[in-house]
Formats: sequence, structure tokens, C-alpha cells
Amino acid sequence: MSSHGFLLAAYAPGSSLIHRAPLWLKFLLVVGCGMASFLIADWAVSAAVLALLCGLFLLSGAGPARLFRAVRPVLPVLAAIGLFQWWQLGAPTAARIVLNVLICVVAASILTATTPVQALLDGVASLARPFRRFGADPERFALTIAIMLRSIPFVAGAYMDVRDSARARGLERNPRALVLPVFISTVAFARQTGEALAARGLGEPEDPEE
Amino acid sequence: MTQTDHPAIARTPRRRSRWNATDLGLIAVFAALVAGSALIAAIPVGGLGVPITLQTLAVMLTGLALGPARAFAAVGLYLLLGFAGLPIFSGGRSGLGVLAGPSAGYIIGFLLAATAVGWLAVVVLARTANRTGKLRGILLFAAAMVSSIVFIHGLGILGMMVNAKLDFSKAFLADLAFYPGDIIKNVLAVSIALALHKAFPDLLLSRVRTADTRP
Repeated sequence: MSSHGFLLAAYAPGSSLIHRAPLWLKFLLVVGCGMASFLIADWAVSAAVLALLCGLFLLSGAGPARLFRAVRPVLPVLAAIGLFQWWQLGAPTAARIVLNVLICVVAASILTATTPVQALLDGVASLARPFRRFGADPERFALTIAIMLRSIPFVAGAYMDVRDSARARGLERNPRALVLPVFISTVAFARQTGEALAARGLGEPEDPEE
Repeated sequence: MTQTDHPAIARTPRRRSRWNATDLGLIAVFAALVAGSALIAAIPVGGLGVPITLQTLAVMLTGLALGPARAFAAVGLYLLLGFAGLPIFSGGRSGLGVLAGPSAGYIIGFLLAATAVGWLAVVVLARTANRTGKLRGILLFAAAMVSSIVFIHGLGILGMMVNAKLDFSKAFLADLAFYPGDIIKNVLAVSIALALHKAFPDLLLSRVRTADTRP
């Protein structure tokens, strides 16, 4: 995890209609599916919508393996809920509950499978733009996002290093020895980052109010 | 559903108008810390080696270390990027789809719990400015427990009721399984927070003290 590679896992490059659709449209699809999952009362409708979304996903050329990978993390818990609610509320209701969650998961993965990470992050950063008149600063917001992304590999690396050194000292069962050094070095790293930004004249508020 | 994260976006930059570069660095790196803690494998604790995940620990520590406003921004940034599709939620999940899952309540609860414990930590640190040691630790632990019970467990139960359609008593029972780990994590979080404030007195402590001595 020493690179940014893990951040690209979900994206499937391509030039399908869905890839070319504007970001806001895909976002609306996700929100719409989220709303629909509360409104759909019939499991057959849920199954039809899910089939439609899976078709849309495959149409983008992202492939069934990627679709399965997107759904896999939620499968164990959905199986547990499905079985429990089958016992409690009956098969149709259990099927509807599970299918409605799957609808949201597949809709969200259509968005992430067909949009490059950079476009998604630009989309997030642009969310600050309408709030500029309230004192929001889109550039500082984008800068903060960039620093966070750059820091994730540092944090993961710090955990690995600290775990290795705790093991070397025979302390691998001591949670304090496993965690405290990570937080100390993370805070130190954050402050070095802040100083580096300040030294370059970045990240300071443009017109201090005080 | 999505309305819950939009106020976060709106407020994050607005409150930041007085934050300097170091604050930005702290916010960004603590957001990365929460993300990294969600991705890292659970650590074994004690003789039996019961594994605990580190994400709630990182969330509570963000509040205890940074205070309410910056903790809100850091955890809000983490959630925002997770919703945008980065695989930084626990188990490598990502996207708005998690809001439909049974753990949605816990994820929203992180934001409120970090803010609440940050606010309570500032109160505790100001009130116990002249006393150090045990009392401060116990009060911070109480603050962490109250915040996690009200927000993480409260919203977690609500999330299971809404998304998995469990009734209250069943969701409550399902949630009970997280209490033992949470108590361990809050003890650990407070002990680490005290060490952090000792190592970096200007992180939150000196701000609290100056606020306290001001009439």
C-alpha cells in the first residue's frame, strides 16, 4: 500500500455512453436509486430494477467480475439479514429488503466504475463552489483533499512500521505499543505538512478577518 | 439520505475561514488516519488475542485530539471522499451504496460522535486545567463513552432499523456485540489522547488554556 494504486481499483477505463454521461447525471441516478429503495414495496419491482442496473453496469463494459467485486463486501451481512428476515417477516419482504440494498450498491458502483477518481475528486471539490459567498474557499478545500490522499499511504506505512517494531520487542499484544507511536508520528507529520504549506504561502486564509 | 452529507460540505469550508495551514494539515492527515485505520487489519488485544478494529478508535481520537470544529471537518472529509467512491470505508467498501447498508448509521454516527467528544474534551480540559492525572482521564473516558453511546450506537441502531428493517429490540441486541470492544477502544483512546496532548501541548491544550484564562 505504498502507492496510490488502491485508489484506482474501482475504475474501469472505457468510452461507453455511461462513461461519457455527465457526472451529475450519474450522481442523480445514485440518489434516485437511494430514494427508490425506500419507496419500492414489491420484491418483483426490486428485482426488475436490480436487473436493469446490472444490465447498465455490464453495458459500460466494466465486466461481470468487477460487478461481483463491487457487491461482494456486502454479501455476508445481506445473507444474514435475508435469512433472519425470511424467518421473521417471510420470503417476499426479506427478498425486497435485500434487493433494495443491492440496488443502491450497484447504482453507486456504476458511478465509481465509469468515472475516473480524478473526476470524482474534482466533483467533490466543486461542491464547495456554491458556498463561496459564505466564505468557502474551493482552492483550500481541494488542497485539503489532496493532502489527505497523499497521507493515506503514510498512515498505512506507519502502522506497518510500528507493528514490526512492536513485534521485535515482543509487544505485539499490547495495543498501546501498537497504536500510540502511529498517532504521535501522524500528528508530527501533519504539523510538518502544515509548516511546509505555510512556507510556500499555501493554505493560509486569503483575507484574515481578525 | 444524501442530505446528511451536504451540510458537511457546506459547513466545512465556511468554518475554516480562520484555520491556518497547520490546521489544514491536521484536518487532512487525521482524515487520512481514519481512512488508514479502517483499511488496516484488526489488532489482537490481550492474552486471547481478540481482534479489535481501529476505526472507531481513530474517530474518537480525532475528536479528543483536535476539538469539535476540526474533528468535524476531518471526519466529514473522510466521509465525503468515501461517499465519492474512494475505497476507504472498513472492508474496502466505498460509494453512496454504504448509506443503504445496515452499517450506514454507524458511519454517520462517526461524524457526530467525533464532534461531540471533541466539544466535551474541550470542556473537560478547561475545567481540569490545574489538575492533571486520574480525574482528567476518567472524565475524558466518560465523555468518550457518552458520545459513542449516544451517537455511534444510537445512530447504528437506527441505521439497522431503517435499512435492515429490524425492530428496535433486535437492533439493540445486535448492537450490544460492539460494546466490549468499544469500552476497550475508549480506554485506549483516552490514554493515547493524554499522551498526545503531553507530546504536543499546542495541539489543543494551549488553545483551551488561553480560552480559559481569558475572562
